[in-house]
Amino acid sequence: MKHSNDPISKDMFEIEPATTLDNEIIAKPQLSFAKDAWLRVRKNKAAIVSAVLLLLVIIMAFVGPSLSHFDPYQQDVTKTNLPPRIPGIEKLGILDGSQKIGGVEQNVYEQNNIKEYYWFGTDSLGRDLFSRVWVGTRVSLYIALLAAVIDMLIGVMYGLVSGFRGGKVDNVMQRVLEVISGIPNLIVVILMLLILKPGIISITIAMVITGWVGMARVVRGQVLKLKNQEYILASRTLGAKNNRLLFRHLLPNLSGVIIINTMFTIPSAIFFEAFLSFIGIGLQAPQASLGTLIEDGYKTFQFLPHLMIIPSIVICIILITTNLIGDGLRDAFDPKMRD
Amino acid sequence: MAEREKLLEIKNLKQYFNQGTSNEVRAVDDISFDVYRGETLGIVGESGCGKSTTGRTIIGLYDATDGEVLYQGKDVHAKKSKAETKQLHQSMQMIFQDPYASLNPRMKVNEIIAEGIDIHGLATSKKDRMEMVYSLLETVGLNRDHANRYPHEFSGGQRQRIGIARALAVNPEFIIADEPISALDVSIQAQVVNLLKKLQKDKQLTYLFIAHDLSMVKYISDRIGVMYFGKMIELTTADDLYRNPMHPYTQSLLSAIPLPDPNYERTRKRKSYDPKQHNYGPDEEVKLREVAPGHFVHCSEKEFEEYQKSYKN
Amino acid sequence: MKQLKKKVLEVKDLNISFHTFAGEVQAIRGVDFELYEGETLAIVGESGSGKSVTSKSIMRLLPTNNSEVKSGEILFGDKDIVTASEKQMQKIRGKDISMIFQDPMTALNPTMTIGRQIMEPIIKHQKLGKQEARKRAIRLLELVGIPNPESRLKQYPHQFSGGMRQRVVIAIALACEPKILIADEPTTALDVTIQGQILDLMKDLQKQIETSIIFITHDLGVVANVADRVAVMYGGKIVEVGTVDEIFYNPQHPYTWGLISSMPSLDEKDDELYVIPGTPPDLLNPPKGDAFAPRNPYAMKIDSEQQPPMFKVSDTHYAATWLLHPDAPKIEPPQKIKDRMVEFEKGGN
Repeated sequence: MKHSNDPISKDMFEIEPATTLDNEIIAKPQLSFAKDAWLRVRKNKAAIVSAVLLLLVIIMAFVGPSLSHFDPYQQDVTKTNLPPRIPGIEKLGILDGSQKIGGVEQNVYEQNNIKEYYWFGTDSLGRDLFSRVWVGTRVSLYIALLAAVIDMLIGVMYGLVSGFRGGKVDNVMQRVLEVISGIPNLIVVILMLLILKPGIISITIAMVITGWVGMARVVRGQVLKLKNQEYILASRTLGAKNNRLLFRHLLPNLSGVIIINTMFTIPSAIFFEAFLSFIGIGLQAPQASLGTLIEDGYKTFQFLPHLMIIPSIVICIILITTNLIGDGLRDAFDPKMRD
Repeated sequence: MAEREKLLEIKNLKQYFNQGTSNEVRAVDDISFDVYRGETLGIVGESGCGKSTTGRTIIGLYDATDGEVLYQGKDVHAKKSKAETKQLHQSMQMIFQDPYASLNPRMKVNEIIAEGIDIHGLATSKKDRMEMVYSLLETVGLNRDHANRYPHEFSGGQRQRIGIARALAVNPEFIIADEPISALDVSIQAQVVNLLKKLQKDKQLTYLFIAHDLSMVKYISDRIGVMYFGKMIELTTADDLYRNPMHPYTQSLLSAIPLPDPNYERTRKRKSYDPKQHNYGPDEEVKLREVAPGHFVHCSEKEFEEYQKSYKN
Repeated sequence: MKQLKKKVLEVKDLNISFHTFAGEVQAIRGVDFELYEGETLAIVGESGSGKSVTSKSIMRLLPTNNSEVKSGEILFGDKDIVTASEKQMQKIRGKDISMIFQDPMTALNPTMTIGRQIMEPIIKHQKLGKQEARKRAIRLLELVGIPNPESRLKQYPHQFSGGMRQRVVIAIALACEPKILIADEPTTALDVTIQGQILDLMKDLQKQIETSIIFITHDLGVVANVADRVAVMYGGKIVEVGTVDEIFYNPQHPYTWGLISSMPSLDEKDDELYVIPGTPPDLLNPPKGDAFAPRNPYAMKIDSEQQPPMFKVSDTHYAATWLLHPDAPKIEPPQKIKDRMVEFEKGGN
């Protein structure tokens, strides 16, 4: 603390109390909940990189197939099992369409005089892998959307009602929940096969039956914690009815938990579909899903590695990025980390 | 002397949790008292005495296990028509303890304050509603532009004032203040208490002021009731409680309050209280008895006679 | 009575800031004080005054990711706590300097027995074997007034009441007979009757163990009960410091006047409680002059220009207010304060 050593003039000692008390004014800029969370997420580099990557994947899922000009379902026996060949990069010596067959380096494109460039190669029926991968990604994205919607509609409502009512209603609802969660998803899908053909419908129904359980539990837990908070009591004394309490008070305070939970259900749902397709009770040939592509590819993994590696990389990217984004959001929404 | 109007009558109120089980808690164990229009009745006691539970049961947040809560003669817990319920919500309001938990962190201040207005349809238009919110903000000493902010941007004292504005929005006659200043700094406590006093004068309010800080309660209350383990053990005017504390628990409570006076603190002797010291026999009836006009003490017949004798004027 | 006591701790020109999303919050803006052997120094202030930050900085417990000691020294023995290594600090914490916190519910580990928690510092710092440590733990529990100590050693925190838990926390803090005990609002969360017991206990223990106590609180009644000297903090600085009699009977700073006046007295009927208007300063943008000026009815022009230095009132009493400058006008403090000062004069201080 530095003081000027100049003598202080006498008139400085006149009493002059503050005329207006302006210190009820809040100095910090207004920060809504969303803005606050955004500032926090911004700092998490992993989450930001993941978000960008995921966005790229989503864009490619929609425009990818049209970029390559090949029809994902068209078979062409003259062009089977071609390795990837990308114009431009091939000049670097990789991805130039060459492969080792029986120890000998060969270039099938040149051998068979194939002019077209298959960026990700082709499969055993001559279908372009590039367009198939992105069409398959669309399936995964549909599953992601479905999982999110089911979580939010069924899971949140179930948890809200169960936690808010409490008592007997809660007891019964929780027991039902436990029974449903006790049955493995796989069994439910297999049971579906008794009445439906394997495909996107059977997977959808299986998810509707079981996919919301985690969200319901989490929401119920939060509701139990929040419903005795004083602001809820205050609304009740003001005369608020249950609807108002649920939708205007509880739901907004649950949004953090809901978003985070959804971000984590998505990757497990995507993996679930891929897994089912891989073992043959999900999507069926000739439909393209990342799972069916991996299943096709693993049969010829030894000498046509690209057929399995490329869809695997795509699905890994989707799973890892959604997980990292979920992590970032959870850190951002955690009120304890408020400064 | 004019008959004072009884606004609130509590008769043999009981609030037992987990009744009948091994962990039955008798939070409120048969208390009776009245609150007169225009007065401030303070209820003090330490943690676990049941004062907060009493307040919440009176306003209807909990159902009473037994006993009656009559507001202007009508039973608060009885089945009522929609109109009657609405009327009750408008007449009786509550201010809560924790400034951090009593405001919805996701709602803006104007939505919080206007909630009562919205529920009861007290505003004629959106503009009218905002005008009411602004006027309430100014009444509690805040600015108009605070209306667009979120609770976490305010200090504890300011949040408490927002809570008061919310309660005032429906024009209540009777306000239960459940430890409204316990979580605030000393100088902010004085601000909030002065505000409450001013509002009482301006709007002819009646208060039930629940707290554990005896000095503040004495400052704001006309009469004070002391609770101990669910029972009202002493009830009288604020001055009388300090001049003539009869019940040994009240005496121990008073002797334990630290005062900003080092000389007093150096010489003070604390009195401790042990409920066993009463030595009540199995047949003795222990209840609230009027030891002096307006001064009630929870005691047995024997103690009643002793208290009467030792009462100084 | 002047006794040349040994200095146990000296804080010199401490400046601490926090880096937040909104900017730099200057929590501590130039704090100086000393702590002498065997005394209790109370640091009084409200939320945001910096009292908790001060105490945590003495133990070097501030979060390292966003707090910064911008300048200053905290001298303990031959070490400067500000620059000491973490290893050195671990030797000091719990052994030479101990701390007890406000909330007895969260200060104890709910999954460890009380016995283990008391023995932990003893075993670590004093290198005693388990048997010896156990004996000491039992003696400590007796010291803090917990009956049946042998059986209670095996119990868990949830089996103790709030007051009992605070006693256990005190036992843990005093286990190694530290030179300094920092008590951060130790009785705020307790009922008033329990508070009285705990304060008496602390005073007794202090006499027995001869430790110095830094007692942080916002309750002036508690200060009057326990303190030998008092430092009043506002806006990250100490605005007045003196013996407990000097602060309560001859306060010089308008903030101290406001604090004392805003407590209702038990024996008279106050018509209206004096209120310090407004709210504490925003340390994101601390004001140029005296931080208390906006709320000070006795503020002068100079208060909004320059921060006041510490003016001497007596060898033990200093206040940072321009009102004590020789050129400042003589003003009348509020009636309540004047009455106290009259008593003080009579006492011949």
